Amino acid sequence: MISKFDFKKISDYLWEIPKTFRPDMRVPARAYVSERMLEESFKDKSLEQLVNVATLPGIQKYALAMPDMHEGYSSCIGGVAAIRTSDGIISPGMQGYDVNCGMKLLISEYTEKEIRPYLEKLATVIQKEVPSGLGRGRQIKLSIEQIDKILEGGAQRIVEQGYGEKEDIENCEAQGRLPWADASAVSLQAKNRGRDQVGTLGSGNHFLELQKVEEIFDERVAEVFGLFKDQFVIMIHCGSRGLGHQVCTDYLREFIPLMEKKYKIRVPDREFACVPFNSPEGQRALAASACAANYAWANRQMIAYFVRKAWKSVLGEKASPLLALYDVAHNIIKKEKYIIDGKEIEVAVHRKGATRAFPPGHPEIPEKYRLVGQPVLIPGSMGTASYVLVGTKDGEAAFYSTAHGAGRTMSRHAATRKISGKEVVESLEAKGIIVKCYSFRGIAEEAPTAYKNIDEVIEVVHQAKLSKKVVKLIPLAVIKGE
Amino acid sequence: MTKQYQILEHRADLKIRVFGKTKEEVFLNALFGMQDCLRPELKKPEEKTEREIKIKSPDLSVILVDFLSEILYLSQVNKEIYNDVKFLKFLDTEIEAQLFGKKVERFGEDIKAVTYHQLDVHQREDNIWEATILFDI
Repeated sequence: MISKFDFKKISDYLWEIPKTFRPDMRVPARAYVSERMLEESFKDKSLEQLVNVATLPGIQKYALAMPDMHEGYSSCIGGVAAIRTSDGIISPGMQGYDVNCGMKLLISEYTEKEIRPYLEKLATVIQKEVPSGLGRGRQIKLSIEQIDKILEGGAQRIVEQGYGEKEDIENCEAQGRLPWADASAVSLQAKNRGRDQVGTLGSGNHFLELQKVEEIFDERVAEVFGLFKDQFVIMIHCGSRGLGHQVCTDYLREFIPLMEKKYKIRVPDREFACVPFNSPEGQRALAASACAANYAWANRQMIAYFVRKAWKSVLGEKASPLLALYDVAHNIIKKEKYIIDGKEIEVAVHRKGATRAFPPGHPEIPEKYRLVGQPVLIPGSMGTASYVLVGTKDGEAAFYSTAHGAGRTMSRHAATRKISGKEVVESLEAKGIIVKCYSFRGIAEEAPTAYKNIDEVIEVVHQAKLSKKVVKLIPLAVIKGE
Repeated sequence: MTKQYQILEHRADLKIRVFGKTKEEVFLNALFGMQDCLRPELKKPEEKTEREIKIKSPDLSVILVDFLSEILYLSQVNKEIYNDVKFLKFLDTEIEAQLFGKKVERFGEDIKAVTYHQLDVHQREDNIWEATILFDI
């Protein structure tokens, strides 16, 4: 059991478990949390899972946990591992099943006041236009050939087909396409699971939210991002759906025997299922993971298309369009370069429930944002605030990673026992928030009381300088997946 | 055969403990537990379905996950659930089985995957088989 005595306080917002804590640790483990949140985190197994991350072959500097961390499987959610590609591993389990689960933010030129008369109708039409993908609503089944094109072309493929604008691609991580994707690395099963799910929201914590800009913290950056006070915006949260889940399932199944018998790699949890990054199997997993990431960008792009369709049908053809501010993943494996011990080293950054946050001047961010830094989109739990932040130079200490959400504090099961979906809806409606959902049970599982306080999480990443607050968004209408 | 499983506490995902008098029964109850969590709404009028699966895995725990993953895949792609399984071959490293089920209109919940995390399958002193499985939802 880990206790507070095992920690070294680095700062008010950074705590370290030294390498000596467990003999199999290769690097120290660091958690970006306040003292209060650290004490909270002893209630689940997230810190033990973080120590497990510190044992992965090739891990550089530290195993990291973001303030929204909570217990998951293999790594804790909110975990970051930068693994040297020359002699380290690749772990599909450390990325998680929902490859490229992420956020997209669409911004309007209107204020909340201007949209208010249309709000109820807009929420209704958007819910109708964006299917959950679990059997309700529109069902389009693509051919395997069409899926292959999406796997290698990502959001770019969708935009080429007329479902978006050039700016959607510019304002998206990796321009919505990882070029090392290879559709032949993805199983037919995975492709089959993806055939009828392009443009679907999914279930669980995935949602669409109609929001307004409540507060501005950094006027200069907000202006560059195109954000202003009381502005009406739309946030999309979802990932690669069944296709991504199957890609991860397939590679875990293949890698467990390979890891144990062929490569003789020992890890504390089979769920890490890793092989050497540079092995043929490792490279294939990387290509497959890129396919799933591309599918997720295509999925969010297609959802944006449906949202825009609803927007036009409710506000009229002449309504000024919804522009994409940014689209960013929070479950992904990416090759990045860092100076470590005076040398430039290529690492495979595994982010599981952590958002990339590149600093000003970074070549991989859109030119229009390059002077100020990468936009970071962090949603709160249902009905609470969300934030737009910006990457900072200081973020390098965390391999340019920051939080990805509020982080659960209560199991879904416990949440449904503690509070009814009806009560949750009533309390949201009492705050003036419109709720569109298919079941009360799904709503209860996502009740705000089942999550950490998003404001506290954001304060930690802001104070620890992993990313800086730009604006706070509050919900006007919530549309939940199934 | 009775459905026999319980839901355990886990912060973010779904953890279940399953029981059975035999290994086969534990596998079957794990399947029922998983399917209940998908909250299927059956098609009306009822439509029957039949599938066959063949799985090879390194050991008993891993084959339980692989068995469930395979069925989760079939269930989601074909929109159906299975209420009976006939094992044609049942070894710790190899399973062949026929699945008998019904078509589903829609699912009320999504299971992303069956994980290998803290996976445990063992026989208790009272000879009852017990398995613990975590699903990512």
